[in-house]
Amino acid sequence: MRVLRYIGRRMLFIVPQLVGIVLVSFLLVKMIPGDPAVMMVGPMASAETLAKLRTELGLDGSIMYQFWIYLTNLVQGDLGTSWQTTRPVLNDLFVRFPATLELITLSLLLALLIGIPLGVAAAYFRRSVVKKFSDYYGLLAGALPDFWLGMILIYFFYTIFQIAPAPLGRIGFAVMTPSPVTNFLIIDCILEGNWQALWSTLGHLILPVVTLGVITAGPILKMTQSTMERMLESDFIRYADMCGLPKSVVIRQAFRNSLPSIVTIVSVLYGFLVGGAVLVEIVFSWGGAGQYAVQGVLNADINPVLGFVLFSAVLSLIIYLIVDLIYFAIDPRIRG
Amino acid sequence: MSSVLDVSGLVKHFPIAGQRAVVQAVNDISFHVKKGETLSLVGESGSGKTTVGRCVLGLIQQTAGVIDFQGETIGKRRNVRSRDLRGKMALVFQEPAESLDPRVRVADTIGEPLRSRGVSRENRRRRIAEIAKRVGLSDATLDQFPAELSAGQQQRVGIARAIVTDPELIVLDEPTSALDPTARAEIIDLLIRLQKEFDTAYLFISHDLSTVRYLSHRVAVMYLGMIVEQGTANEIFSNPRHPYSVGLLSSVLLPNPKLKREVSVDLTGEIPSPIDLPKGCYLAGRCPFATDQCHKEMPPIEDLGNGHLVQCHHFREALKGHEALDYFDEFQAQTEQLLEAGRRSTGTVAGQTK
Amino acid sequence: MANETQKVFDTGQPVLSIDGLNVSYPVYGEDPVQAVRDLDLHIQPGEIVGLVGESGSGKTTLARSVMGLLVQPGRVDTGTIQFDGKDLRALPEKQLRAVRGKDIAMVIPNPRSELDPLVTVGRQISNVARAHLGIKRDEADQMAMDMLNAVQIPDPDRRFKAYPHELSGGMAQRVVMAISLVCSPKFVISDDATSGLDVTVQAQVLDLLRALVRSHNTAMLFITRDIGITAHFCDRVAVIYAGEIVEIAPMQSFFENPMHPYSVMLLAAFAHNPTLRAKWHKPLASAAPAHGGACAYAGRCVHAEDHCRQNSAELRELAPGHLVRCHFPVERPL
Repeated sequence: MRVLRYIGRRMLFIVPQLVGIVLVSFLLVKMIPGDPAVMMVGPMASAETLAKLRTELGLDGSIMYQFWIYLTNLVQGDLGTSWQTTRPVLNDLFVRFPATLELITLSLLLALLIGIPLGVAAAYFRRSVVKKFSDYYGLLAGALPDFWLGMILIYFFYTIFQIAPAPLGRIGFAVMTPSPVTNFLIIDCILEGNWQALWSTLGHLILPVVTLGVITAGPILKMTQSTMERMLESDFIRYADMCGLPKSVVIRQAFRNSLPSIVTIVSVLYGFLVGGAVLVEIVFSWGGAGQYAVQGVLNADINPVLGFVLFSAVLSLIIYLIVDLIYFAIDPRIRG
Repeated sequence: MSSVLDVSGLVKHFPIAGQRAVVQAVNDISFHVKKGETLSLVGESGSGKTTVGRCVLGLIQQTAGVIDFQGETIGKRRNVRSRDLRGKMALVFQEPAESLDPRVRVADTIGEPLRSRGVSRENRRRRIAEIAKRVGLSDATLDQFPAELSAGQQQRVGIARAIVTDPELIVLDEPTSALDPTARAEIIDLLIRLQKEFDTAYLFISHDLSTVRYLSHRVAVMYLGMIVEQGTANEIFSNPRHPYSVGLLSSVLLPNPKLKREVSVDLTGEIPSPIDLPKGCYLAGRCPFATDQCHKEMPPIEDLGNGHLVQCHHFREALKGHEALDYFDEFQAQTEQLLEAGRRSTGTVAGQTK
Repeated sequence: MANETQKVFDTGQPVLSIDGLNVSYPVYGEDPVQAVRDLDLHIQPGEIVGLVGESGSGKTTLARSVMGLLVQPGRVDTGTIQFDGKDLRALPEKQLRAVRGKDIAMVIPNPRSELDPLVTVGRQISNVARAHLGIKRDEADQMAMDMLNAVQIPDPDRRFKAYPHELSGGMAQRVVMAISLVCSPKFVISDDATSGLDVTVQAQVLDLLRALVRSHNTAMLFITRDIGITAHFCDRVAVIYAGEIVEIAPMQSFFENPMHPYSVMLLAAFAHNPTLRAKWHKPLASAAPAHGGACAYAGRCVHAEDHCRQNSAELRELAPGHLVRCHFPVERPL
């Protein structure tokens, strides 16, 4: 019951939080130099056309007025139109966000699979090869740019060995794309029973997921290792050793107590990757949300940018809510 | 003799974040400390004794009651931090290592209270040297950092810092509980000597009854934010009347197997939560003498004469079956006898080695 | 404390025999710090031995050596630790784990930080029983419940499902006692276990601990800074200084006739008469213990002579069962 009350209280705050986020990002985006009207009509247009367009777009009003317009549209579910794609931003994001989420979710899963076992092992075997390896791994993962790793992987597995598909999107050109339901390609393929498309989708996912997963495993590894080390030196683990509990039990106990920190870093990484995966998206022509937002920034196309910020904000809020629920489940001290 | 400190009706409640309930840390207590006198506040953790110390210095604001220091009221405006009271009151902490700035040399730590009062550098140096000598710190230690000193020496620094301005009152918050017994004895000796030299009043906060017996003139026994019994140290230790005092005294394990206090008051269980105080006498749930009356009404304060106050419905029975004998004095006598009798053996025994 | 006359233990087969134990902590670029030095200690089944020492005297290192859980980089250099006929130092880690918690149990201070914050206390007790006795969860839970009753925790059904942060210090101390006693060990080490408790609670906990240990004929090494406890709780008292046992004696004998100047100084710390205390107490707390061809206590001893500074002292039996490591032990006229 405490949990329900807690969630309810969190929900209450979501709306004002979102308005605040939209306001700040609106002001910031407006500060980016570049006039959308000029970009839209081109440099050759007459001053008259330009002025007309500006009135149509509401660009001649005050910034607060423009914000008010945006907000009233937003309430009706209208995020505006991207003048680049000429489609409603909402529709674009419904395609692009799932593309990014699919990519980063799988990448994070891979990162967890690499980072947690390595981190636990490195923390437990303090003077072993594993510990050395994980030290170097953490260093390299922190130093290597992800897009560079992506290009190296493409060079070897596509160009030389020719076992990976071309880095051009989420699915092969020759494959029947499943009808969009969730826009998560894997799910759509399964829903339709389109195994050929599923196979192609998975194939296209491998290289970008490996790229992001290998790099993101770095911080997860470091966090797991340092928290586990701290836990293994803590009083209650020392006491568990004194009680002669089997090694596996002791490690599990330490890991359970490390989980909150690991969950925290994963949630931070998740929020970060929504925008942070953009370079990898570009390298693999992924057509994800980050790419969409960057295009918007470069072309003074404000609506996609704001839409992206809004979606990311909602996503972050959901993630933090989930994180809190996980804390609730793990730690009786928070349950109170 | 006039009182340096006069506290009456002191109440301190701490609010709990997000709740209407409060922690009732101190509940209506009154006491005074005279010039050159030591009053000990004795109690277990959660009895509110530290909170009283903080209130007296004005470090926290009391909820109700009057704290009178040399005829001036201590409160939010006037406290140990105020310009005119700075240096007249001082505090010595429990953990010497934590109360000293690790990056400040000993001499500067001791001189800090003087500096904030605007004493000139030359006078400061002279005073620091003098005080260091009195607390038994060598000149060499003055240039050292706290981490280079033993816990006992660190506490000497803490005491030197407190005494350097020649204060009227020092609040000593468990100053010896972090120390080994031998270092503890040295610090207690030092405190007693300094008190005689400077005629300072001490408010000594402690849970260690053997130390309290040693240096107190008067003792106030605290339980759940109340002073359940107070009186002269002799009176409290040899003729305790409150069941809690008796239980507390009989729980002390003195290093002498012959002196086992007959447990006449067996305090079962543990101290209740100060958030949800029981009705009636706070000890009723743990007290073997408790009757219905105890569970219903708070006992009045009885005056047994000579400043011996006790707050208990059954203060006449608490000592029944328990001979009023000061075990601490008996212990002293026997220990002194033991120490007196012992002498170093002659070399002949040593000659037998190997 | 309940009255109980001191028990005398015959010199049969000890449950724990420590012989010639040397433990040191290497220090980078310096000589290693010798934490325990040539230590012999024999504890009979059912006997409670108090080990008194100030901080840094090596008493915790000794306990950890017995458990085989020295803090890095400490190491046992020489010596044997025989427990119940087994050489603990020769046991592989896996078998040592089977001994820890089952045959040798440890009671520790600050129990609230020593318990896993995420597991209910009942489960923590039953986990230990399950790990050592190879029994099913139901059976282990029942044993845990019995233990909670045995350590007299009020409302054990509810406490079984409580988390450590929901317990008071005294309550958590009882849980730790339950954990250490659930497998009916032959030997218990208590390391400063009651130091964090209030006096009234400490008295309750000690009474209970002794009753439980006595009823199972469990031997115990009771490590403490508080010499007062040993007078009411132990059968024998050992005083440790700078890693050496300087005096060990049956409890009555020790308190009636303490013979090592250090033991006397520990008692003198309780004396209120400063001049009398000065007879035994040298206020030079920083004097480092000397070693190698000198009595370790010589630097702090009020009665040290050249002989003490040039010859190390041996433990000698000066009264029945009363061993002292001093060239000039304290004498008292009869």
